This record gives sequence, structure tokens and C-alpha cells, in this order.
Amino acid sequence: MSVDTSPGVPGGPGARAGGNRTGVIHDLGYQRYDGPRLGRRRIIAALTWHSFRAAFGFGRGPKAKIMPVIAILALCLPAVINAFAMSQGNAQLVNYDVYNATLRILIMTLFVAVQAPELVSRDIRSRVLPLYFSRPIRSGDYPLAKYLAFTAACLVMMEVPLLVLYGGSIANVHGGAAVWAQTRALIPGLLIGLMWSVVLAAISLFLASLTGRRAFATGTVAIFFLLTFTLAEILLQVEHQNVIDHAQPANGPLAAPTASLAEKVSGLFSPFTLFDGVGRWLGGTTPSLLVPKPGGFGAVYALVLVAITVACLAGLFTRYNRKARMS
Amino acid sequence: MDPSTAARPVIETDALVKVYPGDITALGGLTLNVAPGITGLIGANGAGKSTLIKVLLGLLPPTQGAAKVLGRDCVREGEQIRQLVGYMPEHDCLPPDISATEFVTHMGRMSGIPATAAKERAAEALRHVGLHEERYRQIGTYSTGMKQRVKLAQALAGDPRLLLLDEPTNGLDPAGRNAMLELIERIGEEFGISIMVASHLLGEIERICDGLVAIEAGRLLRADTVDSFTKASQMLVIEVEEGTAALLDELVRRGLEPRPYQRALLVPIGGDDTYDAVRDSVASLGLPLSRLEQRRHQVEELFRDDDQLEAVDVS
Repeated sequence: MSVDTSPGVPGGPGARAGGNRTGVIHDLGYQRYDGPRLGRRRIIAALTWHSFRAAFGFGRGPKAKIMPVIAILALCLPAVINAFAMSQGNAQLVNYDVYNATLRILIMTLFVAVQAPELVSRDIRSRVLPLYFSRPIRSGDYPLAKYLAFTAACLVMMEVPLLVLYGGSIANVHGGAAVWAQTRALIPGLLIGLMWSVVLAAISLFLASLTGRRAFATGTVAIFFLLTFTLAEILLQVEHQNVIDHAQPANGPLAAPTASLAEKVSGLFSPFTLFDGVGRWLGGTTPSLLVPKPGGFGAVYALVLVAITVACLAGLFTRYNRKARMS
Repeated sequence: MDPSTAARPVIETDALVKVYPGDITALGGLTLNVAPGITGLIGANGAGKSTLIKVLLGLLPPTQGAAKVLGRDCVREGEQIRQLVGYMPEHDCLPPDISATEFVTHMGRMSGIPATAAKERAAEALRHVGLHEERYRQIGTYSTGMKQRVKLAQALAGDPRLLLLDEPTNGLDPAGRNAMLELIERIGEEFGISIMVASHLLGEIERICDGLVAIEAGRLLRADTVDSFTKASQMLVIEVEEGTAALLDELVRRGLEPRPYQRALLVPIGGDDTYDAVRDSVASLGLPLSRLEQRRHQVEELFRDDDQLEAVDVS
């Protein structure tokens, strides 16, 4: 203390200016930050980027990267096999809009069930949220950044395999027309990927934000997607059987039965069947294994998807609005 | 204190009322002026300290009244306030699985500091709180004292003009408490950052504060400089393993005003003579002295003491 050359009274507000200048002699002292400050938008962007990286385990330990890497490799597998098959002269095995339905449903469920809690439950668990809310952002900015980040992460999971598929396919076709045909088929596939991402991110983040316990959050998300999908599948099968039974009173040749309303309604029960229904409604050509051709009912599928997404986002934002006040 | 700088308070509230749903009144018309420097916000648990901090940060709209921090309105200019204020919450708020450097850097970025500068500031903030060596370790491996320092470092990362610290010594052992208080004192005096420290332990924070504000049930009880605040309540606690009654008589004989308090005796400190008198009393009686310390007040006790003093005055 005796070395202190500050003329000001220590402890008084006069030390404000003195602390910087005289402190340099024996210590680096406290450095004021005089540089530019980023606005709210840039802070949201920083949080979005941070969360996007976290969705793939970057900025975390090596263990956090295992699941996302395995997931994306698994999703790319059909594309790789397809490229190999085509190089051997086979026709294209995998298409862009449905891809490999079972694999994609399974892996995406796994991905959102494990990674959505990584983005939101972890912060609830460690009670770090009050620190975010004490920053120059608003309460809605945190869930907004998380949602943007997770939608982008899901988009990577959905689109990268499609791009691999595209790359593998155009490498094995010849002529501009064939490449153009591939490109034209790819675009709806990419849009379907966007639809999946926007909806899956909303549902899984909302469900994960209900609890700070990661295992519970993962369980909730996984059970929600698997249970609803199983329910929809069973209903679809039952109703489809009904349709076949009614369409064929005699043992005639297998006529393509028109789907009943009950069968179409069965498709409403799971996001995955809804994706399928909307895809087919908007002109998807690939015969799907999941839902019957919806016709005009496709609008209902689209409406339900929008309603689910809006409801989940509203729930997510409301939760964080409350947390900002109560935490 | 220099009146020209003291004239501009860092925190001003005017008849601030906060009623939670269910008619729970957390703040009942609180009017405050907090001058620059280190200020203690004293109140028992549930007195409204945390609510006040949330209102000041612009996170909670007051039911009535107005509040200003650094001249900015808490309702309309919350974002600006949060850019200038560092907040250290009472509870745990650290993710265990990342390093202190990464965490403090991230929180600096969340305060609007660009990436490179945030990294530098994080390293510096961690050095200031004494965690330079351990900064790459995962926070989960830290002791409670180290975690408290990380909490303080993240509040410093955004280069605040004002720090709001909520019970910063919570969970620390006596040595850790002293170290934390010294750190806060240093930040206030050498870094020139105004600080409001919320605590329920008056005796603990009074020695680092320039001013004190006591609230109870959401109302201002007293706001003053430390000296005038604690003058009436300086007490010496004396505990002997046996012969408490004899000591009481002896102290009275020497002109002191002891009174029993649990197993010990409380003696108001008049000056250095008091210490001498106590020492001589104990020595002359040859009693086994087991405790002799300046009293650390809990706020509730402070006010109980006041009531008793008033009662004495009346009689």
C-alpha cells in the first residue's frame, strides 16, 4: 500500500481515474474496455453460433462429439451405398424426398433427444440462465438463439446426407440432362429437410426446456417421438387393413384402394407421418410406406404441423419469459 | 466523501413497490439513494434484496414507483443498464463441464464484447480474482471458493460500471470469506467500480463498505455511512468456560455495561479502555477465557439491539 503513488483518497470515487494510471507501475491493473460493444443482434448471433457448435459437441469434451458424429455417419450411409450401387451400374436406390424413411426417423429422433437437452436443459440444470438474463438481451432472445441454432443443426443432419446422395449420384450419371434431373429431384428433398428441421427443433427444444435433468429431457423427447410414431403407425395399419377389406369383398385382383378418411386421420398422430403427408400433398412422387396419398386432406396435415410448431415455440418463449422474472 | 461526485447516485429508487401475484409484497415503497463506492445492502432473508436487484436489472417491472441505475430508467432502459452492470447471483450458476476461461469468455461475449477482446478480458478477469493458474480446468473440479471467484469474474468480464453482488460470501469458510471480501474491496477501490453487496451479515461486510442500506420487509430501515450505522452496535463477546456470573459482577464493578447473551456476555465497546478492562477482569478472576471477539451482527440482532437501546433511552 505504501508504494501507491495515487494522490487521490483511496476508496473514494476519485480512485476511478487513478486506479488505471498509477496501477501500471507495479501491476497491470484493471483495464477498462473502450472498444466497440456489439448490439443485441450480434449477441444473439454469438449465442446462436455457440449453441450450434454445442449441438455437435464443439466447445465440449470429446465425449460430447461421439453421438452427433455417429448419427450423421449413419444418416449418410444410404447415400454412400447408393453411390456405390450406381457405380456398379445399378439404378438409383435412394430418393431425395423420402431418403431412407426408417433410418431417418430413428436417427433424427435420437439426435434431437440427445442434443436438444444439451442446448437447453444443461443451462437450466446449472442455473446459468440468470447470467444470460442479466446481459443486454431480452428474455425472448435466449430461446430465439437456441431455436435458430438447433434448427440449423437439424438442417445439417437432414441436408448433408442428401448432398452426399446428390454428389454420389451425379458422379455416376452422364449428360447435362441427367444432372439436371438429379438437381430437380434434390430441391424438394432439401425443402422437406427444412420442414423437418423447423418442426423437430421446435418440439424437441420445448420438451427439453421442461426439465433441467438431462436424462429426463432425453427420455421425454424420445418417448414423445417414438410413442406418437408407433401410435400413428398402428392406426395406419389397422385403417389400411379396413380399407383393403372393404375394397375387396370378392377375391378379385388387387385394386389400388382409395384411402379412407380414418386412414388419413391416423396420419395426424405423429410428426413423421405429417411430414410424409405434407410431402405427398405438395407433389412428392415417391410412394411412401407411411401414409396414404392425402389429396385435399394434405392441407390438414400442413395445418396441424404449423399448429404444433407454433404451439411449441409459444410454450418455449413463455417458459423463458417466466424464467427471466423468477430466476 | 467528495460531495460533487457523491451527488450523482449510482442507484436511485423512488417509492418502489413490487407486489407478486398472490398479494405478496416484496418491496413496499422503497426509496433509496446509493452513492458511488461500495455499499452494503443489508437485510434478512426475504427482506426484498433479490427482488430489488431484479428490478434494478430491469428484469422485473415494479408494480409502482421508479428506479434508476447509473441515471437510466430500469423499466425503459433495461438493456442499457445490463450493459453497464455486472451481476453475481447468490446461487450456483456455473456449468461444471467447461473451463473457467471458456465460460467467462462466453459470458463476456454475451455482454457485447467482441470475440478476441472477450478472450483477453476473460483471462484478465480470472487473473484479478486469483484464478490465473487454474483457468483451463473444468469448473466442476473447483472448490466453492474458486467457483465464487468465477462468478465474480464473469460479472467483471463485461467491464461494468456497477457490480451487484448477491451474498458473495455464501458457502465460504472464514478464510474464504475474508479473501472474497478483500477482493471485493480491491475491485471497488482500485478498479473504480461501484459495488452494491447484498448480505444478511452486517458484521461481515461493514468493514469493506463506505455506506450501508438496511431494508426489512421491502422497506428502507436505515441508510447511512458505515461509521454512524455501527457506532451504537459495537459489541464485544466474552465467553468463559466457568464463572460467567463472577465476571459479570466484575465488569459492572469496572464501569462496563455487560449483559448476558446465550452462554456469553456482551459488552458495548466504548473505546480501547473497554478491551483493557475486560482483559484485566478476566485475568484478575483467573477465568478460563474461551472466546473474545468483536460481535458479528446478523441484521435481526442489530435491530433488536436498537430496540433495546431505545427502550433504555425511554426509561
